[in-house]
Amino acid sequence: MSDVVSSSITGNLADTTTHANALADALAWFDITASDQEERRRLSGIAEQMAGEIIEAFYDHILSFDQASKHFQDEEHINRVKRAQVRYFEEFVSADIDDAYIENRRLIGRIHEQAGVTPTLYIGAYAFYMHRLGHVILDKLAEKPEEAFRLMLALLKISHFDMSLALETYVETREETIQNRERELSELPTPVLKLREGLLLIPVVGTLDSHRARSLTVELLEGIREHRAQVVVLDITGVAGVDSAVANHLIQSMSAARLMGAASVLTGISAEVAQALVKIGVSGQQLNTAGDLQQGIKIAEKLIGT
Amino acid sequence: MAGGVPDIQLRRITTDSDIVAARKLGRNIAESLGFSRPDQALVATAISELARNIVNYAGKGEIQIAVIQDTKGAGILVRASDQGPGIKDLSKAMQDGFSTGNSLGLGLPGTKRIMDEFDISSQPGEGVLVVAAMWCKP
Repeated sequence: MSDVVSSSITGNLADTTTHANALADALAWFDITASDQEERRRLSGIAEQMAGEIIEAFYDHILSFDQASKHFQDEEHINRVKRAQVRYFEEFVSADIDDAYIENRRLIGRIHEQAGVTPTLYIGAYAFYMHRLGHVILDKLAEKPEEAFRLMLALLKISHFDMSLALETYVETREETIQNRERELSELPTPVLKLREGLLLIPVVGTLDSHRARSLTVELLEGIREHRAQVVVLDITGVAGVDSAVANHLIQSMSAARLMGAASVLTGISAEVAQALVKIGVSGQQLNTAGDLQQGIKIAEKLIGT
Repeated sequence: MAGGVPDIQLRRITTDSDIVAARKLGRNIAESLGFSRPDQALVATAISELARNIVNYAGKGEIQIAVIQDTKGAGILVRASDQGPGIKDLSKAMQDGFSTGNSLGLGLPGTKRIMDEFDISSQPGEGVLVVAAMWCKP
């Protein structure tokens, strides 16, 4: 179940290689059939008239809430949004659900997200709209309640699909923000601290991805040259997730330091992580580790020869 | 349910921070099952290696961590899957020091050493599936 949700719908919609399949999967997931798509088209002839009836009540409702009405600046703005709403409704009952439809719905989601419309406001407004639509349809098809019900079900499926598309853009925007933050964090310079003549301390904090590891090597080597260091203590107490890849980055940084004529001591590996690394096959020799920072500095001082 | 932990947890893996989150999740589950601290670190490291392979070679994938029960007691099952390029030569990939990237080449063989059970399957072009488990030692 969760496989279907996470990979077919959220993941692959934006993935061009599996695009056609993803669209079919997504429609299947929302149980939107060809007959549903056909069913709603009976409204396309009277879309404008219907939209007009609903939209007035819709905006009366929205504007009666401070939370929602603050999103509208003036009459002109409201009228513009109402016209867009009529277009939305026309597409809702007549447009083919294809890539262009999806892109359009996602764009609407992005506009709402950027304007600060919360999911609660968005879903609540959409639900109100659908309830009004239900009443209008029931009035129009008062003689044929079964048909009205079937039509309403078809429209509900499509409205849920629309909502999911819009809300996906909310999630994507948040994820993008988080990733940007992480990138900023990983671009923070690693401090190179001179403890005394010839001895540097480099505290490494955060996740050591390959980008971060490269910049660590650069700072390490520059620090060695600048301070004419003989020994460098690398403390990784603050590094999250030490595994063979992180060990590899550290080994490479330390070998580079060696080539610059400086020895290095690694501190801050917990006993458990050290054991795990050894079991995986990372040899302790390559890393020249010391138990804790204090011991590391002692070893470093011995290496300098004082 | 075991110790208040849902039986199966799924994590999408795309970035380095997902690797850290997945290993933390595995460590927490191991802890709740009563794994020793060194074994918790082993589980976390194994998950880390598998998740890193996903990020480095496939770009995205999933890690599933499940609590399992056997006559031997409770254990942790880790299932790492991706739809990446896959592995051409599995026996080579399982050798220490073999790497198509610029790594130590310890990830897969190391994980196999760490875990009690280990199974890998891959078809070029269709991704990699690794299923590994560790039992809670009394």
